[in-house]
Amino acid sequence: MNKEQAPTERSLIEQFLDDNVLFLGPDTGIMRDHSVSIPTEQESAAVVAWADRSEDINLIRNRLQTACNESFDMVEQMGAAPGAKWGDLIAGIFSCQGDLALSSAGGVLIFSVLAQHPQKFMLKYWKDDPTVGIREGDIFMHNDARYGNIHNTDQSLSIPVFHEGELVCIVGSIVHEGENGACEPGGMPGGAESPYDEGLKMPPLKVGENFEFRKDLLTFLQNSVREPKLQLEGMKSKFHACLRIKKRVEEVIADYGVDAFLATVRGTLSDTEMEVRRRLQTWPDGKVLSNVFADSTLRENVLIKIRCEVIKKDDELIIDLRGSSPEFLNRANNTVLASMKGMLAQLFLMFVWPDLPRNQAVFAPITVLTDPGSALNCSPEAPNAQSMMTFFPAFTAVQNAIPKLLFSAGFRSTDIVACWYNMITTFVYGGSNQHKELVGNVCADLNGMGGAARATRDGEHSIAPIFASMADIGEQELIEEEVPMMKLVPHKVMVDNCGFGKQRGGHGYQQIVTHKDTQAWGYMVNTIGAKFPSTYGIFGGYAPGCYPLCKVKDVNVFEVMKDQRELMRFTIDEIMNEQPFPDATYSSHHAGLQFELADAGELYMITQGGGGGYGDILERDPADIVKDWADRIVSKHTIENIYHVVMDYATGAVDQDATDKARAAERKSRLARAKPYKEFAAEWTKATPPEGLPFYGSWDDPTVLHLGTPDNTCPADAIVPVMMPDPKDVEIAKLKAELAALKQA
Amino acid sequence: MKRVSVDIGGTFTDCFLDFDNRRAEGKALTTHHNLASGFMGALEDACGQLDLGVEEALSSVDAVRYATTLGTNALIERKGPEVGLLTTSGFEFSVPLMRARGYGDGLSDREQQDLPAASRPVPIVPRSMIEGIEERVDYKGDIVFDVDEDNVREVVRCLVDRGAQAFVVSLVNAVVNPENEKKVERIILEEYPSHLLGSIPIILSHRVAGRKGEYARTMSAILDAYLHDQMYHGLASLEAVLRQNNYNRPMLVVHNSCGMAQMSSTHSLQTIHSGPVAGLEGTESLSKQFGEPNMIATDMGGTSFDIGLVTSDGVKFYDFNPVIDRWLISTPMSYLHTLGAGGGSIARFDRLWGAVEVGPESAGSDPGPACYGRGGKMPTTTDANLVLGYLDEKNYAGGSIKLSKRRAERAIRDHICEHTGTSVEEAALAIRRKVDANMADAIFKEVAVKGYDPRNFTLLSYGGGGPLHACGYAGKIGVTRILIPPYSAVFSALGAGSMNQLHIHERSLYLMLYDSLERQVLEDFTEFNATVVDLEKLGREDLLRQGVDEKDIKSRVELDMRYGNQLAQTAVISPVNRIESDQDVMTLLDLFSTNYEKRFGQGSAAPEAGIRVNVIRVVSYVEHEAVKLETSDASSDAAVQPTSSRDCWFDGTEGVVSTNVYDIADIAEGVSIDGPALVETPHTTYLVYPGWSLTMGKQGSAWLEQHSVN
Repeated sequence: MNKEQAPTERSLIEQFLDDNVLFLGPDTGIMRDHSVSIPTEQESAAVVAWADRSEDINLIRNRLQTACNESFDMVEQMGAAPGAKWGDLIAGIFSCQGDLALSSAGGVLIFSVLAQHPQKFMLKYWKDDPTVGIREGDIFMHNDARYGNIHNTDQSLSIPVFHEGELVCIVGSIVHEGENGACEPGGMPGGAESPYDEGLKMPPLKVGENFEFRKDLLTFLQNSVREPKLQLEGMKSKFHACLRIKKRVEEVIADYGVDAFLATVRGTLSDTEMEVRRRLQTWPDGKVLSNVFADSTLRENVLIKIRCEVIKKDDELIIDLRGSSPEFLNRANNTVLASMKGMLAQLFLMFVWPDLPRNQAVFAPITVLTDPGSALNCSPEAPNAQSMMTFFPAFTAVQNAIPKLLFSAGFRSTDIVACWYNMITTFVYGGSNQHKELVGNVCADLNGMGGAARATRDGEHSIAPIFASMADIGEQELIEEEVPMMKLVPHKVMVDNCGFGKQRGGHGYQQIVTHKDTQAWGYMVNTIGAKFPSTYGIFGGYAPGCYPLCKVKDVNVFEVMKDQRELMRFTIDEIMNEQPFPDATYSSHHAGLQFELADAGELYMITQGGGGGYGDILERDPADIVKDWADRIVSKHTIENIYHVVMDYATGAVDQDATDKARAAERKSRLARAKPYKEFAAEWTKATPPEGLPFYGSWDDPTVLHLGTPDNTCPADAIVPVMMPDPKDVEIAKLKAELAALKQA
Repeated sequence: MKRVSVDIGGTFTDCFLDFDNRRAEGKALTTHHNLASGFMGALEDACGQLDLGVEEALSSVDAVRYATTLGTNALIERKGPEVGLLTTSGFEFSVPLMRARGYGDGLSDREQQDLPAASRPVPIVPRSMIEGIEERVDYKGDIVFDVDEDNVREVVRCLVDRGAQAFVVSLVNAVVNPENEKKVERIILEEYPSHLLGSIPIILSHRVAGRKGEYARTMSAILDAYLHDQMYHGLASLEAVLRQNNYNRPMLVVHNSCGMAQMSSTHSLQTIHSGPVAGLEGTESLSKQFGEPNMIATDMGGTSFDIGLVTSDGVKFYDFNPVIDRWLISTPMSYLHTLGAGGGSIARFDRLWGAVEVGPESAGSDPGPACYGRGGKMPTTTDANLVLGYLDEKNYAGGSIKLSKRRAERAIRDHICEHTGTSVEEAALAIRRKVDANMADAIFKEVAVKGYDPRNFTLLSYGGGGPLHACGYAGKIGVTRILIPPYSAVFSALGAGSMNQLHIHERSLYLMLYDSLERQVLEDFTEFNATVVDLEKLGREDLLRQGVDEKDIKSRVELDMRYGNQLAQTAVISPVNRIESDQDVMTLLDLFSTNYEKRFGQGSAAPEAGIRVNVIRVVSYVEHEAVKLETSDASSDAAVQPTSSRDCWFDGTEGVVSTNVYDIADIAEGVSIDGPALVETPHTTYLVYPGWSLTMGKQGSAWLEQHSVN
């Protein structure tokens, strides 16, 4: 069995194995590596040749950057997907080895680290394959997240650029297209139980030659989704945007020569990495622990632990996520490791060093440690359409840790912030629209996440998602033209919906939606945080609250508006507390709603969460509270019981003496409630998770993971995937038990 | 022709006077406290050159045309009434939230990307002055929730109690059915009748902007209400001054849509950025008269660089959602791209790339460049130009500002050379290269993204800094011909003198020209034609109200079209004002595809996704005679003597170059001067690079042409 093989034998076997691959699945080596490739000989020579011409390189870089921005504008203008129209895309230039070196100034930054993997797959497997090849005029597409992507709803398109027969770069664009033929409309099926429920699954795929799409493949792709029109427009917009960058690259090469271009692309990557290392050097060395929890799989209430240690040493940062929850083999909330790295990279690009160029080298000096088979590094058989439900909390865990290192850093390029709101709280819709087209997509107003409090300023209300700047929540009038939904309340900031603190987080908004003029229409919601906050405050600031999904069924609100207008209400709390429609059914749920058809005039209601607070609530300036009161975003209860401010609500005048007294009393009360740390720890710490709490992940020891109960565990380096029962089966079993008990009684 | 046109800029007020083919350029410092004072100063300057009295000129001119910054100033200074906003219940936060992205509108890329530091601007209408009205109109205009009078009265009184001095009523989908907005107006008027002292101005959103999009439309209406008083009083007081000086006709106010109208037919919003747009109109007029069909207009000032486009195919470029200050609006403006690059742009060393960066931060005019000696310590573009010998220390801006080369050198040495280890001159050249490249990249993108090749264009350069940098930025995009236009120092004012009286009315609609699902081309033309009739009527009424002859009124129909559900709306000028046949529809479809493919590339058209008209726009206008501009094909070998020479440094040329300096007054028509050379005019300097030549034309125009690549 173990006889030693001669080198020739080994070589023969390796050749045999290479020649007899069943299936070219995701390449583990490519997918796990986020470093910048070693330069080719030509790249190295070009860099040396242009070493003392940084001014010229800078001019070339600016031209290429302009080209990326130009293409971004084109995709945004030509695209039909809500994601394209409201900025959920990117356009860029990859090195000849597939590293993303330059990308558009706007758009979704997570792509800047993620986009490399499919390019590297193409180069490794297709370039020299006689049945595929990479040639001038070829068009490649890809969407399967397991080959590098956020989720399958994003589609990338890339084209190679040659100079005198040599590949000099790849240009590409990625767009959140939405509908992709998954088991639920809209492209992000929270109900997926395997990758085969997640719709279109393109590995890097040649879809065109000679600068034209192959009609048979185009038809196949259109045939695979609910919106063939969207598929066509998405492909055309990305392709023509790529052609534009290609043209600009060729112009640069014509003006400066190919070496100047190669030196610029390669230099952009290496200069960026060096700058990040210089900046990290100015941070204090140390370790910060930050645990966060996701409260749902989108199908059931559970507690999913994201364990995070951030270790800074010299010019490197290690993010250790080992000890986090195991993967859920029949739930969509698992994350492909590369997706998670992309998400973490944009934390640094957006919230730590927003002045840095948008390329993958920003993340190169950062090491990420995970347990294979965990929810943050899932296996290929685990569905991942809703990976945001675990990688957004992972983002928050790191965002929560970084300020502690950054606070005394020698170099900072922006404000220190608490945790941003981190969930895509909006409606995914599907059905037949008023123009009789079959449509399915996500509303752009997921982009209105509440901003976190800053060291010296409050957070901004519903301002931007954690993955993009200048993202748009759109105009309802334009959206209503295309879909039969009517948002009775599109974006109304909810009272007290933020993390309190010396500086409060920005608030999130509530939405109340209904629909009409359609034969069939339904909704989905993909959000966690209805039971346990999904984001947090820092340095004493509070986390924001939790909000459920609420429904009012068996009502036609259009008839109410016509005949009983006095019953109409325009906030969730009024509707749910007063229950004004006499025969309607009111219910509240966790915010993971699988696709559900609704009748015209029924109401579905959700709330974006707010940003985390910063600093002690008792230090909040009463003048800021008066302003919040005037803006009708803080309640009397909060003013009196959280901030301990005494004011005249009619005039807005603060009684400073009474406020000082109230705050002094609260400080005294805090001291009375306080305990020595050891005493607290002894009382608080338990050996295992509480009985009855469906807890997933390590409790104390990061090498042992709990699988939903105190006793069911597995080693972190040999994870047993979790299989969840169908919630309907659980419900049936519960009802059967109740029935049996009744019968017995 | 007897015509006065005036353009008020941030620093100077420019006047162009055309008095029976005698022309004069007048300039005066802008008097921000009372714009009429600067206006009259510039007019006096121009009249003086023609030996005319101001009253004599004003009593006989057929029109005074005026591009004003009154609105911009009022916005910056936040001088406006307390505005109360009435909107559809549930939409009270549409304006405060600014579509989320609004935090970055009007800011640089760098600021937009910095989310932790992002803050929305202080609102013009605070949340406490916004109230919801219980009503709702759906996307097709059906009223699904009628207005309740009691509810309206209650919220209106509430806002008045809080101090509302003006009302904006902006209800969802009011552009497809304004009935509810009108009902609210009627109720407010019942509460606060217009004939009583306590009356309150009411702005209805559908009357300000005809385009769907509740946030941008509401902001348009808010700005209109906010600026109205300031604009009205400012313009009325200027008109009073003109009347005191014997001008007895209505003043024509320049609009940012490349047209103009009397004050009584002008919305305050239409005046914002009207000066730069007047320059674009001047470019269009010049393009026709000079037989130069494709022109890129570039206007470089102290803090900004404006780029506009005139093309041979007659395509009109609009900004449908322009940003005014920090506010996104939806009244169409002629498209101009503004870049933060000018004489005051600050240079710095960027450690990341080991190279010099310039802008978008600007030293402005206060403290201004280091060489101004007003406290500015950072090196700027102007400092680099001074160090390189392109500017005269003692004769800058007509001698109004004395420059200090020593201060410029020190700023560059401290902030650039310290890091680069180069000489001050080399660093100054790097600053020049970078600022020129920034402008070149911006021009390239603006032209290319619209589907044109900049190399097929003539570049027009005006504004204080344009002719000083034109060879630099033109050369970088392969443009080899630059025209410095006649009267370049007051070119925007001249542009105002060539404008037509014009009004634009537009309306959103959902009209499928080709329904790919049903495989059906539009057969019922009623909605299209009825909408055009309505919009033509509005435009005609606007013009008739100003006393024009009905037979002189013309109109043009423009359509914003798109494939499927795209965001892009490609403007198409309809060859017909009514659709009467299938052929008309097919012509429109062809035109759209042609325009679209020109913009986005051959094969990019996607008619399979269906083709829609989203907006119909009717441009109603009365043509006015344009200012005559004269071309020249003269050629002269006459010698011209330089007035002096200066030591200059040029990119690509080793060491110092002794460069001749000429006075523009000494250069006759048709005379050519080879670069390197400097040509000084009373208001600016023309820099002729090595490898370029300057040939003088008529009326102060000049051609710069490249002969060899340096």
